[in-house]
Amino acid sequence: MASAGRPAVSQAPVVGTGTIGQRRGFRHDNLTGYLFIAPWLIGFFAFTLIPMIASLYFSFTEYSVLSSPRWIGLDNFVRMFTQDARYWNSVRATFTYVFTAVPLRLIFALAVAMLLNTKHRGVSLYRAAYYAPSIVGGSVAVAVMWRQIFGTEGVVNAVTHVFGIPSVTWLGDPATAIWTLVTLAVWQFGSPMLIFLAGLKQIPQELYEAAAMDGATPWSRFTSITLPMLSPVIFFNLVMQIISGFMVFTQAFIVTGGAPLDTTLFYALYLYRRAFETFQMGYASAMAWVMLLVIAFFTAIVFKSSSYWVFYDNKEGE
Amino acid sequence: MSNARSMTTWLRLIALALVALVALACGGGGTATAPAQQQPAQQPAQQQPAQQAPAAKGPVEIRVAWWGSQDRHDRTIKAIELFMKKNPDIKVTYEFAVWDDYWTKMTTQAAGNSLPDVMQQDYAYIDEWFKRGLLAPLDDYVSSGAINLKDASEEFYKGGRVQGKLVAINLGSNSPSFGLDVDAFKKAGIAIPSDNWTWPEFEKIATDLHTKLGIWGFGHDLANDQMWKSIYFSAGEWAYTDDGKKIGYASDKILVDYLNMILRLQKAGVTPSRAEAQATYVGKPVEQLAIVTGKSAMDFFHSNQIIAVWKAAGENRNIKMVALPRQPGGKSANYIKPSQFFSVTSQSKQKEAAAKFIDFITNDVEANEILAAERGVPISSKVRDALKPKLGKAQVEMFDYVDRVAKDVQPIKPPDPAGHTDIVKNIWGPQVVDQVLFEKTTPEKAAALLRDEATKILAK
Repeated sequence: MASAGRPAVSQAPVVGTGTIGQRRGFRHDNLTGYLFIAPWLIGFFAFTLIPMIASLYFSFTEYSVLSSPRWIGLDNFVRMFTQDARYWNSVRATFTYVFTAVPLRLIFALAVAMLLNTKHRGVSLYRAAYYAPSIVGGSVAVAVMWRQIFGTEGVVNAVTHVFGIPSVTWLGDPATAIWTLVTLAVWQFGSPMLIFLAGLKQIPQELYEAAAMDGATPWSRFTSITLPMLSPVIFFNLVMQIISGFMVFTQAFIVTGGAPLDTTLFYALYLYRRAFETFQMGYASAMAWVMLLVIAFFTAIVFKSSSYWVFYDNKEGE
Repeated sequence: MSNARSMTTWLRLIALALVALVALACGGGGTATAPAQQQPAQQPAQQQPAQQAPAAKGPVEIRVAWWGSQDRHDRTIKAIELFMKKNPDIKVTYEFAVWDDYWTKMTTQAAGNSLPDVMQQDYAYIDEWFKRGLLAPLDDYVSSGAINLKDASEEFYKGGRVQGKLVAINLGSNSPSFGLDVDAFKKAGIAIPSDNWTWPEFEKIATDLHTKLGIWGFGHDLANDQMWKSIYFSAGEWAYTDDGKKIGYASDKILVDYLNMILRLQKAGVTPSRAEAQATYVGKPVEQLAIVTGKSAMDFFHSNQIIAVWKAAGENRNIKMVALPRQPGGKSANYIKPSQFFSVTSQSKQKEAAAKFIDFITNDVEANEILAAERGVPISSKVRDALKPKLGKAQVEMFDYVDRVAKDVQPIKPPDPAGHTDIVKNIWGPQVVDQVLFEKTTPEKAAALLRDEATKILAK
């Protein structure tokens, strides 16, 4: 990003002293480019930048949609951090989810990717079959299905009942509710799995052959070849999953509704409730900006740490 | 210098994009100019319906929105089809949702200046919506006869008045109730209680039903916020003061006793555990109440909802409604309420046609045969008389119940204050009911917390 500015700086004196005609020509060239990206620009301004600026303003106001916003300074933030017990419930639920669902999903995705990377008959069929859940994964239908599966009279209880285990109110018990959602997240492993699979295919086979010659065990081949060679892909997946993990919404909205005892009241769900059920848009906007900072913080940590564990094949390419 | 130049380029681009956007916004659909919140709140009366152009030559299009259960959606859509058949010059489009989603939708549309022409309204909201300039006064349509209220007595529609203006037409009257599975009572050999039963009597009956039948004596909804109001109503108080600025009861004792009773019932298995309630029942439409599947012998719903409940339960069942239990020696815990309204929104461009639709729903006998009083006892006496010989079991019970309790009800309290939703959603549900019924706190502490937090919200 920064490098793009350098040529412009060196040209600056020329342009500054140039004639009007030259300037026009310069702009005309740019205009064509801008026109080409205009659809995106309009979308960006209308649906991203302007709403973001509006939301930043709203975060310092009390705004109930039906009446105009009223400036209240930092009150929303103060209330959030010091007076709202449910806010901290939502933070707790979200962190629990991110720190369990994200690693589990990545581990599971990697394991399945490695299985599907072996050469067997019909492996492409399996690949399609295992990817399918994540195509429908984000949808409401899957969440509704999950509700049925873990319902009091759902499949899980029906199966455990056969073995004489008393039925459990999975979705209503504060001790189990969030784990049904973590399970759902792990089950939707398809997209990181696909990226892992692509990464695995890039690892040169010679490395494994050479290691096998030297008598390396499968485990040491995994830790010494697969993991380092795959680390850029792991890094990418980790960042993406952390971001989407913090923004988890649909599952809790449909499967548990944030209940019981706020154990599944994820941050985004609570934000939505404040915004669209009690119409406290100002408070919800403030929550959104805090979330942005938290996500930025964790992403930054992962980026900073990457120099210690992400291995790039051609260092000079950096 | 280059920075300055690229800055101006950017500024121009942004300006260009904004102009483009504004052009797009104005071009698309030709929506009105002033956002809702800029309309002067004090002068909603000055929007003069008389200035509306008479129905245009081509077909006029109006949009109608309501909340409710599947049964209501089906019936309302059929009534709309009948309306279009009888009024070929008006095309009606519609949208519907469950309660929570409905208000999310409507509030967003209000902000976007795209409210439907006719919207279902609730007693709790008309005050605020009219004062914000979002509802059109209907008095002129009533005096011109466009909306005919000659067959309705003032008593039935005065609930739709705000600041002396009629802003909403009552679609039916109802009253909260406990629904009883008559067959379960018979099987258990327990007499149907009278309308002046008390909470201790309720507790005994519910427990007996459970021990004799093995099913729940009562469903999941004893901790509905309506109960919080009712237990104090029976004691001559209310959840809020009349001006809606404070908690309206002097002592927490009634609430604490009530929460303790729920705890006892829950521990004895007379009602579902809170976990079971959360997993299966909370926030679901009335068709999914435990009484529908015969899992409980009693449940809480409003009298008009018996139509949907009974339909879901099956015609062969027998359901009877009784009034909410009272405090020992207390007054009736019931009132008669306009169950819901239709309003014409101020953003409507077809107010004449919208008024015509409301008149149709209020007075057309054929339409009301389809609607089957599912929104409550109709306000037009002609409609009531026409319906009576054709009533199904559920409607007969509803008419009978409302007639019966009406003899002993207390007058209705003012609409809920603006902070009510916040209190129910963020305090009552998660911090009082859940905490007590999951046994994370005591009823005393929860009641005190409710008082503190609600006081803060109401003071705003």
